Amino acid sequence: MKQILKVATALALFGSLALGVTSVAAHHSSTMYDHSKTMTIKGVVVELRWVNPHVSLSINGTLNDGEAPELWVMEMTSPGNLVRAGGWRRDAVKPGDRVEVDFSPLRDADKRGGALKRLLVVDSGEVFTANLREQERPGLE
Amino acid sequence: MKHWPLAGLFAVFLVPGHPALAQNAPKKPPAIINPAPTAQDWADLGKLPDWSGVWNPNITDQDKQVKTNPPPWNDLAAGKIKQMFAEERAGAPRLIFFGCFPEAHPTWMLVTHNAMEILFTPGRVTVLGESDGNRLRRIYTDGRPHPDVPDPTFHGHSTGHWEGDTLVVDTVDILPEVALAVSEAAGVPNNGDMHVIERIHLADKDVLHDDLEIIAPHILTAPWKTTRIFFRQRARKFDIVEGVCVEGDYSERIDANGDHVFVPTPRTEWGNIEAPHK
Repeated sequence: MKQILKVATALALFGSLALGVTSVAAHHSSTMYDHSKTMTIKGVVVELRWVNPHVSLSINGTLNDGEAPELWVMEMTSPGNLVRAGGWRRDAVKPGDRVEVDFSPLRDADKRGGALKRLLVVDSGEVFTANLREQERPGLE
Repeated sequence: MKHWPLAGLFAVFLVPGHPALAQNAPKKPPAIINPAPTAQDWADLGKLPDWSGVWNPNITDQDKQVKTNPPPWNDLAAGKIKQMFAEERAGAPRLIFFGCFPEAHPTWMLVTHNAMEILFTPGRVTVLGESDGNRLRRIYTDGRPHPDVPDPTFHGHSTGHWEGDTLVVDTVDILPEVALAVSEAAGVPNNGDMHVIERIHLADKDVLHDDLEIIAPHILTAPWKTTRIFFRQRARKFDIVEGVCVEGDYSERIDANGDHVFVPTPRTEWGNIEAPHK
């Protein structure tokens, strides 16, 4: 129950980010993320937004043991590409799932966001990746 | 009552379709009809090369050509592109396809990260792209010319014909605002008069090549030739799925009335999702 409350609180916080927003979605470059760095966050899933053109995953978690959990947002490619390149499904994770996520952080160190590279679902052991270029040969299965 | 014969005279000339009216009216050209395909038209499609399946792009080669085969930009465009690359390297990439506008033609072929499928029907080849509801190219192979009066669009007006197993496509009437882009963060408006010639063919059993020649006189100093590569997939997980770009602007929520609704989601000026401040 405590876990559910935490997720609900984080989801409300995530929603509140929408206030006063004017920018729009689009196909965009990902160089706002520093792809030379990889960090790992451990926490629980708040929400998987399975939408085009970029799927996102919000997590309430920590970079280091002993820290207070905070809300982070990870961005990925499109649903279609995640299915093919990384074995994802719309129900790959659900709110409250314990996860470990490897990601490249935003260059803006004042913000808690990143480009997801690898997701481990702790309880099932399932792993999902997000490398578009893994599709670059014909006849894949 | 005595005026009736005169009224009757006017009535005769005002009757629609009266020969006296038809002689003076401008002649309306006959409607051009798209004829119903015959059984033979459908059978002839079977003689075309097999382009079925889903085609996904070689993104590594797209990236490589940014350096190995850049467009011959004119000085003005080259300066803008240089600035955009600098911004991209600095982590502030220009949002070329803002507002979910289509990547459009020919940039869709040049920089897409998503799959496409190609459909043959009598008199037409249709290219359907994934990830935008508006990624669609209609290539008319019924022998029609380009329109006399241009009506520019994002994907232009395309006519095509087969030379052996190669589809040769000629496209004009592309909106001047459409960017010729070499990446998702580097491109400039073509500014009008862009003309694209493509030769699309199988380079191997499951590899499709689109050999493009792009003529953009307001931003290039010469026609630019480039080949874009696509890989065929037949596994069902590659089937094209609906993708509505603008959906990314919203999150799915349930409102106070219990209705499932979309609510705005924050995005940065670069298009990525807004992250919480530390």
